[in-house]
Amino acid sequence: MMTFPQELPTRKQVMARHRGNGGRIALVFPVHYPRALLRAFGFLPMEVWGPPGFSTAEADAYIQVYACSVVRCGFSALVSGRLGSPDLVLVPHACDSLQGLGSMLLDFPKVECPVRPFYLPRAGGDAARDYLAAEFQAISRELEELTGLHPSGHDLLASQKREEEADRLLARLHRERGRMGLPSLDLYRVLRSREYLPAESFTNMARQLLHRHRPGTSAGIPLLLSGIVPEPMEILSLLADAGADLRGDDYACCGRRLYPPGSSADPFRRMAESLLAAPPDSLRGSSVQDRVRHLLQLSHGSGAKAVIFHGIKSCEPELFYLPQIRAALESAGLASMSLQVDLAVSLPGQVRTRIEAFLEALS
Amino acid sequence: MSMGPALRYHLNVTLLGRGFLRWQRLRMASRLKKTRSHQHLAPPLATWPRLKEILSLHYLKGRYVSGHRKVAWVSSGAPVEPLVALGFYLLYPENHGALCAIRRMSEELMTVAEDAGYSRDLCSYVRTDLGSVLSGRSPAGNLPRPDLLLCCTNICQTVLHWYRVLAHHFDVPLILVDTPFLYRGATPHALAFVQRQMEDYVSEAERVAGRRLSWARLRRVLTLSRDAVELWARILAQGRQRPSPLTAFDAFVHMGPIVEMRGQEICVDYYQQLLAELRQRVENGVGALEQERFRLLWDNLPVWHRLRWFSELLAARGAALVASTYANAWGELASLIDPQRPMESAARVYLHPILNVGVGDKLRKMQGMVEEYSLDGAILHSDRSCKPYSIGQVDQRNALVRGLQVPSLLLEADHNDPRSFSPEQASGRLDAFLEMLESHS
Repeated sequence: MMTFPQELPTRKQVMARHRGNGGRIALVFPVHYPRALLRAFGFLPMEVWGPPGFSTAEADAYIQVYACSVVRCGFSALVSGRLGSPDLVLVPHACDSLQGLGSMLLDFPKVECPVRPFYLPRAGGDAARDYLAAEFQAISRELEELTGLHPSGHDLLASQKREEEADRLLARLHRERGRMGLPSLDLYRVLRSREYLPAESFTNMARQLLHRHRPGTSAGIPLLLSGIVPEPMEILSLLADAGADLRGDDYACCGRRLYPPGSSADPFRRMAESLLAAPPDSLRGSSVQDRVRHLLQLSHGSGAKAVIFHGIKSCEPELFYLPQIRAALESAGLASMSLQVDLAVSLPGQVRTRIEAFLEALS
Repeated sequence: MSMGPALRYHLNVTLLGRGFLRWQRLRMASRLKKTRSHQHLAPPLATWPRLKEILSLHYLKGRYVSGHRKVAWVSSGAPVEPLVALGFYLLYPENHGALCAIRRMSEELMTVAEDAGYSRDLCSYVRTDLGSVLSGRSPAGNLPRPDLLLCCTNICQTVLHWYRVLAHHFDVPLILVDTPFLYRGATPHALAFVQRQMEDYVSEAERVAGRRLSWARLRRVLTLSRDAVELWARILAQGRQRPSPLTAFDAFVHMGPIVEMRGQEICVDYYQQLLAELRQRVENGVGALEQERFRLLWDNLPVWHRLRWFSELLAARGAALVASTYANAWGELASLIDPQRPMESAARVYLHPILNVGVGDKLRKMQGMVEEYSLDGAILHSDRSCKPYSIGQVDQRNALVRGLQVPSLLLEADHNDPRSFSPEQASGRLDAFLEMLESHS
């Protein structure tokens, strides 16, 4: 039995182990992408959400300061080699800044490995599903050329089903968070290990964890977090110290990636179905109404009384919706506050003060 | 549609408005003959009063159109032809945003949006538009409430979020034409995806319009669109002449019809007049500047709130902006428009604007323009409010400087927010850049 989260392997350890077994590493920028497809070709996806706290010197030379810190920190970490030497860089099109990053890396190479950006459809319906399935098929053909591997349809489907099982358990961890008795910071280390652990390892760990039954006390103020990524992660301890009880999240990197399984027998179509059926996300172009509905469902289901929007500075997709979402939540009796952070700098003291004042007002 | 709004529309627009605007045009034309706007600039183009007349008429129609015709608000790169063929009145919030900046109203309107919670990190067009929506204020009088929104992601994702906000605010349907970004050319599945959306778009637009689309009418509208785009390309190509009869500033002002009136006769008529005037200038050896010493490229959106300032500052130093990637974007795709295959050609055309292709493609476009327009240098506007246009400019500038030995300047500003622009700093940087050009020549 593992003890959590102390025994969680680090990203570096997981990468080294995968490489040691002859595997390849794909660095993947946010947000949505076909994990199963990469795995079927022996790539282990390592997600790049910042990382926070790194110097952005390399980005300063190429990317304007008004691009968000996820892109600037990620670019700097990538081109400086701090993320190791990947075999592939995958850049999903999540926003204008990531579009620019993907295009720059492709047309003005700054890393030695292949770079594959791809577009994520914002429209819904069958046309979007078919487009995405065809795009995944195109990526698959390129990966065949790159690796010399030719996984069969059966292999691809098996890979997708492994990811679906990991996603199913991830969703359970989210739902049943209260009964595992993990402090928020530890819980999110576990949840976010999906960003780098192979599906099989994540599944094993999640099963063990779900067997635990150590309900903690939930005397704090029940709330939800919404945003892109819970970074710097000290915000989670800060919230706990200030008396918050985190009941759920709507982070692009966490709660908005609880993918339901696809239903098709065609692996590419199934991957597309699963990805497009994720909870509403501004980065997939969801409507304001859908996002409000989702947040209200989350709060009603969890008993949350408030939502803290913990955004990244300059992140347009998130900033656009805030006034209307907050007004709708207020009409439904939910309090909210908005914080913007820059991943390149540590959490400013005023954030602590604002959170404390907000929670005090709620209590 | 009831009779009341129709009567009100015809009284104010057809009967009184048109006459008044015609009279205003004639008065302005006679004044223009007697005045000279700036010592270093040629007299304004004689077609300018006509441009003002048709743009004013467009906004005048908007004031009285509600209840008379269906209204659609449209993003600037969207495939509007089906809406034109269905008789919608079209309003372009981006053009309106530019108008607000030119008339020095954008700051006031952005403050309204910011007070309502919209971040200063959002695009300044959006903040201007939302400020206008929330306050009801506009230099164009009042804007008609939309019955429908049409948004195409071929210029940025910002427009999608912007239109989501508008759809929520007005509680009206939003048609989205989602155009995959072309990192490496258009794939068959990208074309098929857009074409399927075009078909859904027509059905939804018909439902809102309450009438069926006439395909013959659509073909006619597409022919007019293609003619206008071709004319616009020929107008801009006059900038290749030495001296250039127009500058990018003229193009920025005169691009109103190609954005707002694509698919309409008035747009084609106007551009025929403008082209004729420019050809006359070329024949007579009249340049847009009194003295054209340097020929420059402008990349990215204009700084709408400082158009005149830039124009006069550069003219005083003999620097003619003879080409711009922005104005050029509306003249590039005429050959892809095929009125006989409306849906298929729309998918192809609307996938390919400069903002929907990779940063390397944009560099190649700029490199081509350096040759075609015999350019001495380039100014790349790093626009705080336009990430898709701006990210990649550092590499593009480096490639222009190192690959083509074209001196290039990256200039920080914002197309609509005067608070994100320092004239002192910009003028210092432009002076230094022009001095460098001088030393190169």
